[in-house]
Parts: sequence; structure tokens; C-alpha cells
Amino acid sequence: MNPAIGAVAVGVLVGAVIAVSVRDGRIAVVGLLTMLVFSPIVTDPIGTPLALAARLAGGVLAAYLLWIAVRGGGMTSGSRIGWPAEALLALGAFVVGLGTHGLGATALGPVEAQAAGFALAALCVVPVATGRDVLRIGIGLFVLLQAALLVRVGLDGNPSELEQLVTAGLIAALGGSVAALAYAARSDGPGGFDLATEPRLRLRRPQDARRDAPRPPEAAPIPDR
Amino acid sequence: MSLLPFLIVSLISTGAALGLRGRPSLATLVGLAGLVVTLLAALAIRPGERLVIGGAAIATTEFMRLFLVLCSTCGIGLALLGAAAGTRRDAPAVMLGTLATAGLALSLPDARIAVPAVTAGGLIGVLVTLTPGAARVGATVGIREVRAVIISGSLALAAAAWIQRPLDDLVVQPQVFGLAYLAFALAIAVRFGVIPFHFWAARLADAAPEVTIPVLTAWGPAALAVVGLAWIDQLVAPILPEVGPERAVLIGVGITTIVLATFAAWIQDDLEHVLGYSIMGDAGVIVLGLAALGTEAWTPVRVWILAFVVARSAFAAWCAAMRATFWTGRLDDLLGWARHSPPLVVALVLVIIASIGLPGFAAWDARVSIVNQLFGGPLTVLMLVALLGPIAYYARLLMIGVRRPLGGTAAEDWRPRWPAVDLTRARISAATVVRVNRGASTALLALLLAALAVGTSAGLFGVPEAAAGVAPALEGESQIEPPSP
Repeated sequence: MNPAIGAVAVGVLVGAVIAVSVRDGRIAVVGLLTMLVFSPIVTDPIGTPLALAARLAGGVLAAYLLWIAVRGGGMTSGSRIGWPAEALLALGAFVVGLGTHGLGATALGPVEAQAAGFALAALCVVPVATGRDVLRIGIGLFVLLQAALLVRVGLDGNPSELEQLVTAGLIAALGGSVAALAYAARSDGPGGFDLATEPRLRLRRPQDARRDAPRPPEAAPIPDR
Repeated sequence: MSLLPFLIVSLISTGAALGLRGRPSLATLVGLAGLVVTLLAALAIRPGERLVIGGAAIATTEFMRLFLVLCSTCGIGLALLGAAAGTRRDAPAVMLGTLATAGLALSLPDARIAVPAVTAGGLIGVLVTLTPGAARVGATVGIREVRAVIISGSLALAAAAWIQRPLDDLVVQPQVFGLAYLAFALAIAVRFGVIPFHFWAARLADAAPEVTIPVLTAWGPAALAVVGLAWIDQLVAPILPEVGPERAVLIGVGITTIVLATFAAWIQDDLEHVLGYSIMGDAGVIVLGLAALGTEAWTPVRVWILAFVVARSAFAAWCAAMRATFWTGRLDDLLGWARHSPPLVVALVLVIIASIGLPGFAAWDARVSIVNQLFGGPLTVLMLVALLGPIAYYARLLMIGVRRPLGGTAAEDWRPRWPAVDLTRARISAATVVRVNRGASTALLALLLAALAVGTSAGLFGVPEAAAGVAPALEGESQIEPPSP
């Protein structure tokens, strides 16, 4: 185990624990940014400058887009069991990842990457499965995606530059999507980032179709047949 | 390389259409122009080319070219229909983004890169769930779609990474290959929103306009299915591990989806939900194809994917034309629609032919082939009967159309009309011509897409040859032939 990579992996975990634990949306985004910035460095050897730059740019862009959605304030539900319990959960999964490196075969990447991936996967389950607001679910999805990317690095080694570029695009797209949805939810009256309640969910279609299109005078009602 | 212009044009058009979203008319115009240029760029793709970019190879195939050409054509029709029937300002941009990422994904031999590409395309789609005047509801529907897309992408990525490295010293090979295969196949199932992963897809029809539903639940997932099929054929099928339980799970998911989604489509009370569940039901056939896990499944599944994408787009076009003509999508309000608009009857009949197929059609043979590979004896007959289930909801639509309307109707006339044109007020005159021909023009577009769907289902445009072609080759290897039987 490489201590330097291990330290970076711990940085990833710290960011993820903050992101899924806190209730203030702005602090959650800062935690997310920490995780996104440290994640591409959990490789051995470290990626090419171009690949690294692409991943960092993607991560920072995603966090910035989320920041736009939360900078006016807004709370997410956060963790109900508190950050110490989340950190312990992540630590346990981290150890499992250390002990199963390669998942049955010789791995090509660093053990720390797989361990961090397992830890993130454990952290994301609750927000993704039970989140009741757009921001919390979105943060959980970021953590889930990073978990998969880290496990991929741990198993198969360094991704190619093209893969890093595509991955950066994916992370930025996720940031943009979650930010757009979070902004939309927050701008729709009181309730912050909360999901809509089920009874309101079903829309009546005619209301949103051709709202601005006046009917032509020629389309007069046809008499009964 | 001929793929690069396609990627550049589609990506730039996506960005331009999104950048101009503050001016909806201009954004729609840019999006439509982008779709037309994208179609031309797709037609110019030459199969068999390879290029190494950033340490990874991209390669063009005939299947990829045909997929992109067909989707671009459908995109143009759907975008035009959306302009008449009601859509979101971002719909053309979402179509372009989905095409761009699908083109990239289908050209990548390495599933570990293709999966993130096609996942990014799915994320762009949430923009059409943002509903004017009901932002929280749209956000709720959208975040559930994002959740499905990311879960699917993460699962597929982990599965691809698990067995894509050298595995000579792997201790538990059969179990590992089986689990990875199941994970990738379930990722595809989640992305399609098949039962039991259908909650988000069913809700999508609440918020997304009908012209965008096939883009979100058919185009992107179909690209992922093609990537997954190539991955399975390259890494799992040659080893052919003991994957009985895994296949049983997939067969169960496929059968359940085909039966229950057909029933759900039959009982819906608006066109959008009928469309949504019909896509779900047809996607069940693709899940069955993934369960076939044999060399013989390669061509039939890819034929069905092409037919599925175009036929569902054509059905969406018909739904949009109905809304544009009758100002509603509620079935209760559509009594007597067939009496009022014969072209839409013809369009629906063509959609039925394309979806169900006729004996001798490539799509029909593909479905029969998939079923024959999975089942034997009476089960085969039962499954084939189940695959005819969609006739029930199509027949219901037709029955509603021939019933007597309850009252008057404000429907648009299906016949083209040419009101007097005042050349001194050309813009107003042109707008009037467009308005009074709303019913005729949308019916014509639906007819054209339905005809395209019938052609694809019948095996025209080189569908069987493209489907039987090779997958894009990994770096340093020759084109990968589908494993011989």
C-alpha cells in the first residue's frame, strides 16, 4: 500500500462523508468538490497531465454548476445517523476493499482505489435509495459514480486519455443535470429541494401543450354527426 | 475519419441549441438545422475506418452508421412534430446530444469508455422533464431518471471493468463471468426501465412530451444495449460459462416485462402512457435477447434493436400528430378520431405492422429467432402469442377511433388548405398557412415515419446486413467477427 495514494484516498473519503452527512447544501457541495478533485489522483502511476486536467476540469465544473443551484441557500436532509456513523461505515467498506483487491484475479490498479471505491459505494446507498430531496439524491449519485470509477481504476489500472475525457464529460453532465433539477425544485415555491408529493405528480397533459399557440379561426368546431 | 464530422456537428449543435435556450424559437431552429446536418454527416460515415485518439481506438461500422441515420431521420420528424404538438424548448438539443453520445459509444470497442459516453447522453435528457409551471414535479421525475441512468451506468462500468483485464489466474471464473454478465444485462434493463425497474420510466410520461419519450427510453438505452451485446459476445459468450441462474433471472425479467407492460399499455387512459409502456414492452424482447447469450443471438437482437428504435419513434410521432390534430391525448376525448382523420388511421396501421411485423419481415424473424433460442415446445408458442399482445392496445386505439364521438370536436382538418396569401404580409400569411395545415402536416410526418418504420422492420435499408456485421475492433486487433455458431 502506497502511503501517498492512501492519503489521497482518505481525502476522497473525507469529502464524500461531508457531502452525504451535512444539511447545508453549500457545505455538501464543498465536500463533493473535495471528493471530485482527489478522486482522479488515486492512481498509480498518476495519469497524464491531459487526462488529469480533463478530470479536474470536469469535477470543478460539476461542482460549480451545483454551487449555482445552492448558493442562495437551501438545506438538504443530510444524514440521520450523523457523520461519525457514516465515517465508520465508509471505513468498514474501505477495509473490505483492501482485503478483496482484484476481486478474484490479479488487479492492475492500486488497492487504495478499490478500497475507496468500496467505501464510496457503501456511503451512497442511503442517499440514493431513500433521499427525499433532489440535492441529496444527486449527491448520492455523484458518490455512486465515483465509486464505480474508482473500482474500475483499482481493477484495470489507469484509464486512457480518451476515457478520462469521456468520464470528465459524464461528471460535468451529471453536475449540470442535478444542478438544473435542484434549481428548478428550489424555484418552485417553498420546500427547497424537496421532491414533489405523489398526489401532485400526475400532470394534466393539455395544460403544457401549445400554450402559446392560438387556434386558427378556420378550426371551428365541427357540428355533431 | 468520417465519424469525426458527425461528432463535431452534433456536439456543437447540442451546445448551440442549449446556449440559445433563452430564445426558444431560435434554439428550435438551430436544433432542427443541427439535426439535418447531423443526418448528412451520418450518411457520410464510411464503415471500416479506425482511429486512435488519446490512447484508445474508435472505429466505424455499418451498424453504427445505419443506427445514426435512422435515429437522425426520426429526430427530424419528431422535432418538427414537437413544434406542432407541444414540446420542450430543449427537445432538439436532447436529441442531438443523445445522437452524439450514441455515435461515440457505438464507435468505441472498449466498453469501459462506451458506457460513460452513453450514460452522459442519458443525463442530457433530463432537460425535457423540466415542466413549465410545475418545476418541482418535473424535477422529481427528472432526478428519478438521473438515478436510473447513473445506477445503470455505474453497474455496467463496474461489470465491464471486472472482466476486461487478463484473467488467466482467476480462481472462480464461472461465477465471476456469470455475475459480471448479469450485472451488465441488468444495467441495460434498468436503463430501459423494464419491469421491475420501471417506476421512473412510467412517471416519465407524466412530464416529458411524447416526442421525447422514445429519445429517453429507446434511443440511448438501445445504444447501451448494443455496447452490452458486443461486450457479452467478446468476453462472455466465447467462454460460455455456466450461467443458468443468471439467464433465468433475465428471462424472468423479459417475460414479465413483455406481459405486464403490454397489459399496462392496454389500460392506460392517455396516449403518452400507452407509448411509454409500449416502449417498455418491446424492450423486454431485447432483455430476452441478452439472455440468449449465444452466437446466434447476435444478428437477431441487433435487427430488433434497429426496428424497435424506429418503430417506437414512429408511434411517438403518431401520438404527437394525434395531439396536434385533436388538441388532446386523453383517450376519452378521442372518440371517433379515425372517422375524422383517415391519414392517421393509415399511419397507425403502418405502426402496427412495423411493431408486430409480418412473417418474412426481418423484425418478425428476429423475434422468432430469439424466442426459439430460449424456449422449446409449448413455451415457444406461448411466448410468440405473448409477443402478439401489443395488438390488444393497438386494437383498443382503433376501436376508440371508430366509435361515435360524444359531442362536437375542435379537431384540425386533415386535408391541406391554402388560404389566400397576401404577399405584402408574407410572414403573417406563411404563419397562417402553417396554422391551418397543422393537422395535415403532422399527419403527413407521422405517415412518413411510420413508412420508415415499416421499411426498417421489413429489413430494407440493409438492416440484416448491418446487424450481422462485426463489432468495432479493440486497439491493435482486427475487426472482431461475431463468434461462429
